[in-house]
Amino acid sequence: MSVVLEVLEELWSMFVGDRRLTLLLLAVVALGAAAAYLIRQPMLAIAVVFLGAVGVLADSVFQGARKAKG
Amino acid sequence: MLDLATAAPAVGAAFVASTVEVVEAFTIVLAVATLRGWRPALTGAVAALGVLAIMVAALGPLLNLVPLHGLQLVIGILLLLFGLGWLRKAVLRASGFMALHDEDAIFDRERAKIGDEVADVIAMLASFKAVLLEGLEVVFIVLAVGAGRGLMIPAALGALGAFVVVMTFGLMVRKPLARVPENTLKFGVGVMLSAFGVFWTCEGLGAPWPGDDLALFGLAGAFLVIALGLVAILKPRAAAATA
Repeated sequence: MSVVLEVLEELWSMFVGDRRLTLLLLAVVALGAAAAYLIRQPMLAIAVVFLGAVGVLADSVFQGARKAKG
Repeated sequence: MLDLATAAPAVGAAFVASTVEVVEAFTIVLAVATLRGWRPALTGAVAALGVLAIMVAALGPLLNLVPLHGLQLVIGILLLLFGLGWLRKAVLRASGFMALHDEDAIFDRERAKIGDEVADVIAMLASFKAVLLEGLEVVFIVLAVGAGRGLMIPAALGALGAFVVVMTFGLMVRKPLARVPENTLKFGVGVMLSAFGVFWTCEGLGAPWPGDDLALFGLAGAFLVIALGLVAILKPRAAAATA
């Protein structure tokens, strides 16, 4: 039983280990989807997803650094 | 017919990412074998590989039933979550804000743990759990890298290559693989998985890339430069924090 729980915990932490990163990334993808499907601008969708992912990474790294310091 | 430009990033990403996971699993199996012998260590490892094979055989055919764009979008998002998480930790480690992952420490910890637990069954379970957990990550990596664009075979070959290389190297030196620069590997894996993640998320949204698959190289390069830039920004801050 504990093996099953550990497997589930591992899978959960693989994708939702950092809740802020997960939520921000889903918001970025939602914006990208809006650009692709609502205003039908595929290149804008690409720019939103790429720049958004970079922004999420930077936010997460600085957040991690602040936590490590404090 | 697959061309090299399409297959190479999938093989490379699956190989490097799987190497990290296989090294972690092998370190623990080796710790178990050193304390309790190869029999319980290998029994646990082989049983876990059997469970993984059943899972892949059961889940693999279901992927054909899912629409391609939907599959690319879901896998792209999962890859981005996975890749950005790895890249974040690798940047924090490289800049000095987080301790480096230490295979020697893992080996000692597992050894100490098993030293208290004398039964072969427990040793076997430790080996089983390590191979199952790390193997699940390898399965995910192969599915994520390969399933979106019919690259399952190149991705699986990359993972198999990682398994063969680590096992050959590990059995030759017969000691923990502390010499593998793990954070460097993780840095590279984070870059590649993030690049694949952005690529497939956009493909899943119906946004075609200029240059098709070649855009992956540009994305990987961009993520690498950005991550190295973040390390350069954070390093002096980490040094100031510890001074």
